[in-house]
Amino acid sequence: MSKFKIDRQTLDELNLLGKFRAGSVYHLFNQVRTRGGEQLLDEMFNNPLSSTVLINERSETFKCFQEHDFRFDYDVQVISVFREYLDTKTYNHKIRVYFSLLSRSVLARLTRDERYKKSIQGFQAIVQVLKKTTALMPLLSWAPEPFQSRVQEIQVLLKRPDMDQLLQMDIYSEIDLGTLVFYEHLLKGKLHTDMENVLSFIYELDVYQAVGMVARAKGLGYARALEPEQNVFRCQNLRHPCIEKAVGNDLLLEEDSNVLFLTGANMAGKSTWMKSLGIGLYLAHMGFPVAADSFEFSLREGLYSSINVADNINLGYSHFYAEVVRVKQAAEAAASGARLMLMFDELFKGTNVKDAFDGTLAVTEGFAEYTNCLFVVSTHIIEVGEELRGFPNIQFRYMPTILEGGVPRYTYRLKEGITEDRQGMMIIQSEKILELLER
Amino acid sequence: MKLETDAQTLEDLRIFGKREQTGIFDLYNDTHTRGGEKLLREMFRNPLSDIESIGYRRHIFAYFSEHHLEFPFEGSLLDMAEKYTASTKDAGASRQQILNDKDIENGVVSIIQLTQKLRIFIDIDVVKASVPFAGEREAIITILESDVLQPVLRDKNSGKVSYSAITAFDALFRSKGQIKIEGLLHLIYLLDVYLSVARVALKYGFTYPKAHQKGSRILSVDGLFHPELKKPVANDMVMEGHSSLVFLTGANMAGKSTFLRSIGTATFLAHMGFPVAARAMEFSIMDGLYTTINLPDDLGMGASHFYAEVLRVKKIASELHKGKKLFVIFDELFRGTNVKDAHEATVAIAIGFARNSESRFIISSHIVEAAEQLGVEPGIDFLFLPTRMNGTTPEYTYTLERGVTDDRHGMLIIRSEGILDILKNGKKGRIYCNEAQ
Repeated sequence: MSKFKIDRQTLDELNLLGKFRAGSVYHLFNQVRTRGGEQLLDEMFNNPLSSTVLINERSETFKCFQEHDFRFDYDVQVISVFREYLDTKTYNHKIRVYFSLLSRSVLARLTRDERYKKSIQGFQAIVQVLKKTTALMPLLSWAPEPFQSRVQEIQVLLKRPDMDQLLQMDIYSEIDLGTLVFYEHLLKGKLHTDMENVLSFIYELDVYQAVGMVARAKGLGYARALEPEQNVFRCQNLRHPCIEKAVGNDLLLEEDSNVLFLTGANMAGKSTWMKSLGIGLYLAHMGFPVAADSFEFSLREGLYSSINVADNINLGYSHFYAEVVRVKQAAEAAASGARLMLMFDELFKGTNVKDAFDGTLAVTEGFAEYTNCLFVVSTHIIEVGEELRGFPNIQFRYMPTILEGGVPRYTYRLKEGITEDRQGMMIIQSEKILELLER
Repeated sequence: MKLETDAQTLEDLRIFGKREQTGIFDLYNDTHTRGGEKLLREMFRNPLSDIESIGYRRHIFAYFSEHHLEFPFEGSLLDMAEKYTASTKDAGASRQQILNDKDIENGVVSIIQLTQKLRIFIDIDVVKASVPFAGEREAIITILESDVLQPVLRDKNSGKVSYSAITAFDALFRSKGQIKIEGLLHLIYLLDVYLSVARVALKYGFTYPKAHQKGSRILSVDGLFHPELKKPVANDMVMEGHSSLVFLTGANMAGKSTFLRSIGTATFLAHMGFPVAARAMEFSIMDGLYTTINLPDDLGMGASHFYAEVLRVKKIASELHKGKKLFVIFDELFRGTNVKDAHEATVAIAIGFARNSESRFIISSHIVEAAEQLGVEPGIDFLFLPTRMNGTTPEYTYTLERGVTDDRHGMLIIRSEGILDILKNGKKGRIYCNEAQ
């Protein structure tokens, strides 16, 4: 299957990536301890999966790590020394290794050359890590497949006779130059790939435990991927993972009810809910935990959003045009028959009310016919909803506003139907503007 | 009295430039001196609101536009004098450290030259004959004739002053002469502004608007255009007597915002006594000018676009309530809400505004239905900017016409991009596929 389609705009709008961006989803999960773990996490964020099997397997692994409350208690410092040791190249020929180490040991005594010390430290780090990993193996007996096979693989590796001597090594007793040369040559030569394998296994552990820990701390749930043909999207109590005390909502989108038409006042939470949907779907495709009590979804081929397009009203017309271009891209993607999720927040807000009305109506009608796509559209132009009543596959939901003594309050809980809140005149009346003009 | 306005208005009309973008101020700024530029900026920051001061300034500008005069001093002369006088304000001791002997010599010599040239300038026939400038001329003469400056005017060495004389002049300029010199410099800066604005008016073909008393219910422009446009289209508009509100319609690209900016800018400049980009203009002086053309959505702050608009309407309503006479512009009023609310709110607010017959309002909107309801109300006029369809490409005349239009091109653009066709012909879901067959 092809790669999950998502573009920069969508990634930005959902604030998915970005290590240094506070509030990004990546930032939320980035609790890994090692550099390699971080790289692996990066890779997962950049490559959502496109097979139900892989998704469910990974998701299951995270779940087990969370349930068993696995703690990553490697010394991070030692792991980076390990990494460094492997990365410094040495000679192929043992004699040359011998002489280079010998010269370093002499240099270390005469000057402040630290390379000899580094070699010793690197070797010690490997021994420590291997011992630690061996001790860890029995604790991972619960690991589900396919991670279980990884565990087995590493276990077999560590039990090999050539490893045995290494594992017996006491790092606190003296290590002579001969031993050092022997292992420097072996570890950086014949056993190099095995060592890399052990390291990447540790990075995997790091990511699994970090994500499991975040899931536990934030009370996240796990998604279940279904075959694309089932064409369903079902979630309960889905929230925005990065917002504290976020309010959750339920939703069911299916073949014959694939369009969600969302209305509500400006501050009522439409955009946040759409972002929650997008983030949930993306995380689910990565096999990551999602901020929901339950989450089932048919595999999608891509995600398009247009949320909170920076309001560049100065650009006026061209802002509207940019929106049109965006919709066109989405239309082309949908027309190709791909199973997508499309989200449009406040469509055509860069133009006048009437054009926005016509545009939103025409585009929603057009997209509604693509029942293999999921389509979420929000607008403050509630009149569009009335026109769309005839479509059997459009669901209507709204985010309510409650006026308490003239002050609007928002529940952030979806309700069925189209909002009746006529906030416009309500605000004008509560601000007593007409009275002011009466004189 | 000062014309009330706010940051939003200055921003909408682009009075002051921002980063690479030049503003109206830059267009009018043709001054030779830094002091003149500063003074001009002050004037732009403080538009006036009383007929006397507006008229006073306007007459001077008009006079110098009519009788073309070059600024009689070189900029470098003023720079040196400025450097010198700026330091005389500090205590004597520290001054010696800032200025070396050369600076002092330059300063003294330039002040002597400025004073003498000014003496000659005010005796030019054109200046002498000027009624509007008489006040300023009188002020210059008073300073020049003061005892302190007599040695300066007497000096005949023109450029070559002995070291001892410099010391003597320096002492004079630092003590008794200081206030006089500053006074003269200020008048020179003012002269710089008058002459440069008059020159700008000639260069661009601007005219001087005629101001009427507050509350006289007059606003008429003839051949109004936007001063920053290369090939502007001129428009006429009259809002007299009780017709206090214009309801403006037109397609997105038809030029509504440009027209609103043109009239807003002209009104602003007219209240400064400055020449405006029009063939003729008459206006009643207002207490305030408020425009809402590019209202930013303060999403970060949590306020919606609609709410921002409402707050602005409220601010204006409370000013009107206090009896202020205002000139108000709203572009695309209430676009941040649904059609029905926008409709009702537009009608209610327009009717409320129109009652203030001594104020002037221009509201642009796409809600043509509101126009039908407003048609029966007194005091409301309807103008529109037309679109002529040339096949499928819209063409714009940018010329105001009476009436209402429901031209819109949003759907046209959506169609011409082929979005609906793409969706119509794509691979649809099962249900709709069967239906289509």
